[in-house]
Amino acid sequence: MWIENWLYTLPLRLRSLIRRERLDADLDEELRDHIDRQIEENLARGMSKEQARLAALRTFGNLVSLRGQTHETWSGAWLEQIGQNFRYAIRSARRAPLLSAMAILALALGIGLDTGVFTMLNAMFLRAPTLVDPASFVQLCPRYSGWFTGADQNSAFTTEDFDAIRSHSHALNEVAAQQQYAAFVEEGNKYITTLLATCNYFHVLGIDRPLMGRFFASEECKRSNRAQVAVLSEPLWKHQFGADPRIVGKTIHLNGVPVAVIGVAPSDAANYLLGGVFVPYTLEPQLNRAQDLLASPDTPWLSMIGRLRAGFTRDDARAELMAVMNRQDRAYVERKVSAFNRKTTLAITNGSFIENPNVHNLVLGLMVLMLGPLALILLLACSNVATLFLSRTLARRGEIAIRLAMGVSRSRLAGMLLTESLLTVFIGGTLSMVLAYRVPLLIMNTMAAGQANFVVLLHPDWRVFGYLAILMAAATILSSLMPIRAAWKLDLLTALKGREGAVTVRSRTTSGLIATQIALGFVLVCAAVLFGRIPGLIRSMNPGFEIHQTLAVPVDVNTSGNNRAKAEAFYQALEAKLLATPGVQSMAYASVQPFNQPSPEEIRLPRQAKGTGQPATVDDVSSSFFSAFGIRVLRGRVFLPGEVGSTGTGPVAVVSQAFANQFWPGGDPLGKTIVMPDDHHLTVVGIVADTRSERFGVLDGPRVYTLRSASALGGNLYVRFLGGAKPLETAVRDAVKSLDPTQTIAPQTIWESLEDQADGMTSLAHIILVMTSIALLMAVAGVYGVLSFAVNQRTREFGIKMVLGASRAVVFRSVLLRAIKSIAIGLMCGLAIAEPAMLLFNRLLTRSPFPLHRFDATVFGASAVLLTAVSLIAMYLPAIRAMRTDPIQVLRTE
Amino acid sequence: MSKPSDLIQGTLDLLVLKILALEPLHGWALSQRLKQISGDVLQVSDGSLYPALHKLEQQGWIHAEWRPTENNRRAKFYSLTRLGRRYLEKEAANWERSSTAISGVLRLTEV
Repeated sequence: MWIENWLYTLPLRLRSLIRRERLDADLDEELRDHIDRQIEENLARGMSKEQARLAALRTFGNLVSLRGQTHETWSGAWLEQIGQNFRYAIRSARRAPLLSAMAILALALGIGLDTGVFTMLNAMFLRAPTLVDPASFVQLCPRYSGWFTGADQNSAFTTEDFDAIRSHSHALNEVAAQQQYAAFVEEGNKYITTLLATCNYFHVLGIDRPLMGRFFASEECKRSNRAQVAVLSEPLWKHQFGADPRIVGKTIHLNGVPVAVIGVAPSDAANYLLGGVFVPYTLEPQLNRAQDLLASPDTPWLSMIGRLRAGFTRDDARAELMAVMNRQDRAYVERKVSAFNRKTTLAITNGSFIENPNVHNLVLGLMVLMLGPLALILLLACSNVATLFLSRTLARRGEIAIRLAMGVSRSRLAGMLLTESLLTVFIGGTLSMVLAYRVPLLIMNTMAAGQANFVVLLHPDWRVFGYLAILMAAATILSSLMPIRAAWKLDLLTALKGREGAVTVRSRTTSGLIATQIALGFVLVCAAVLFGRIPGLIRSMNPGFEIHQTLAVPVDVNTSGNNRAKAEAFYQALEAKLLATPGVQSMAYASVQPFNQPSPEEIRLPRQAKGTGQPATVDDVSSSFFSAFGIRVLRGRVFLPGEVGSTGTGPVAVVSQAFANQFWPGGDPLGKTIVMPDDHHLTVVGIVADTRSERFGVLDGPRVYTLRSASALGGNLYVRFLGGAKPLETAVRDAVKSLDPTQTIAPQTIWESLEDQADGMTSLAHIILVMTSIALLMAVAGVYGVLSFAVNQRTREFGIKMVLGASRAVVFRSVLLRAIKSIAIGLMCGLAIAEPAMLLFNRLLTRSPFPLHRFDATVFGASAVLLTAVSLIAMYLPAIRAMRTDPIQVLRTE
Repeated sequence: MSKPSDLIQGTLDLLVLKILALEPLHGWALSQRLKQISGDVLQVSDGSLYPALHKLEQQGWIHAEWRPTENNRRAKFYSLTRLGRRYLEKEAANWERSSTAISGVLRLTEV
């Protein structure tokens, strides 16, 4: 029955879809015929001609509405409606081209920036790092419990674990391992990310065709072989080696180790390659002279990726590898290398950053932080478009009223307005694709201008398009809500009579719009001020110690076992040479580098049990440290040359002011005893001033200085000098090189390395500044738009006020006052958004040297002033216009 | 004008089908017939017949055809299809059943 029915009506349905005009004409003729017959009937009853016609029409009912209802019974009615809506939308867009163009531009900017950054984040964080068969790609993430701190630890694999997994796994048909390492290419003081990788690394990532040369051969990763070969990434090759076409076969130096370039990896895979230079992982001991991780059975250092064998799932692999790791755990504990009762659990992920439990929260936080402000920009764009549409809807209220009077249903009207928004958003969204492609490249080129080993490859996938669709849907709805509401609430009678005054938009709507725009703008301006301030902050701060006249002398020496004698000789010779260099005043060692975050250790008072102490930073320094760094001594004394080191029997320590305040508030710390994490008891002999060496411009927390053992080797070496930095840097480098030509890191004053950091932050600040400028422009345009709209609405009111005796100043003030109230509300709301955002940001950055206060009054204050000033300018013109209202003109239209 | 009750309104389709089962008619004639039969119970404007007719046509219960009428005019005549006849029988039976049940209940409450 159903099928028969369907077959029977099919031609009819098709006809009603395709031959719409014919059906329309048919219907018209049918209805006319009906009315004609009714007129005839009425005439026959003896009515006059005119009476008969009117009576016939009356009994027939609302012709327009009935025709509409009949239309709706035809199949494909909805399609026709959509078509009509679109035609209507296009017509009304063409009628106000400037307004439509503005709306489209605002949305294109808003959506484009947002989608662009999402595309970048998607490529970086959300996708599996391979283009070839991502379904079989896995990353192994171990998590160790039983760590001595009590907390679980996400970490890496030891060389032994890697060997065990590689040789025992059936579920994975290939396993690769890799570790990032910062190394110097040739000479300089900029690190290049070097990847120590197994020789199948490229293959596992699905990269099988080098741009030139070849990738590693498997025998180059034999432990006994230690082949000194390297593959370069295309960006590094272009940037650092000027795209030298004969690079293959040349020898470059990594941390002074000569390696032969055998190939270049193409950049279309480069965003999946985590480094600029690739070397076999067996080269680790040569590159990193401090520690031989390759031979250490107990130090986790390798990250592992792999490919599932066909027919195996990630769960299979997990079960199998957990068994392998359990055996490894038992062996580890039996070896009793440390007190660590290792117990491993594994997570097998698709290889994307977001799935890696180690960085999951960080990535998530970063994405929220980057996309959040962009969502605000989009919201701003939406509220601008909403204002434009709202003013258009109200300008057309006569037309809308007539439509309603003619029998168009309000829901149909809402559909029409929604389609107008949809059309605008759709065009804007399409245009935004252009931007979406440009934005990531622009950002990366600005950010990594100096490094250039980062090229983001954009393969928009379902996530990007899904995100775009969500943005567009949200924009459509947000920008059409208010016009629809205005049309819905339209009072038919007053609108038809043209009594505009009775149907002005409520002032709540306009002040709400202004407040929203100010709030959104405020949050973004806060971000800009925050970041814009950082480079200046870095350059202008006083850390409490000398940075311009203190030179870091980076040396990379293998101090382990059999090389110890050589290392000792090297350091002795170096110290002698440095002290003999003209200009050098003193020389010092420290274990903590300035502007790196050292992890605090637990310091106790003598009767405190382990675990009840308080955290403090421990800096193991040589006796000349305080004079070399120019740190003021407040009380007592500092270490004496020749005083026995802390690891020996001479138990003395110097503490910072903050430490003294924390441990003995109000008491006298001199002569008191503290207990180090290794249970050594130290006597406090001096108090020194606090420095700002951890975060820029922020006083350090409690800090203990211990005396470096005279026999200690390594550590960070600093030289205090007089005179210009440049000649001394050259002299020091020459001194180092004359002793060991393989040393490649150039010395830098602490100030110079800070400058580098500031430069990095400057480019980030530029990006944020550009984005904020766009946002600010939108906010200002929005405020201007809303206010001029509101002023237009109230022209009549102003006119009447003036007739009744209000001066122009009163009108001017009334406009401005109301707007200022909205600004104030907006600022409050903005603060309510900005403060939690700041908190989140702060939590993410706890390990970075950038200072962020919980409530940064400077940032908030500066942003508020800037925003208020700019929006007052935007308000000036509409307010002036209100003031110039001509009462006569107004009353004439009355 | 008081609103016709929903029950009667809902049966408009059924009435139209029943009338068309007797003979093919054009819209105006159908409306006259409806008024004649139902008296003033069915207070709908003439025009509201057309959405109903077009819906029935789309559903395949009735068939429309332009036919010449008197004085060199033509009108759209509606006739019942085979499917429509079957549907009418089924619906009429349904109506019969439910109206018997309802009037039974109503009589009960009056006692």
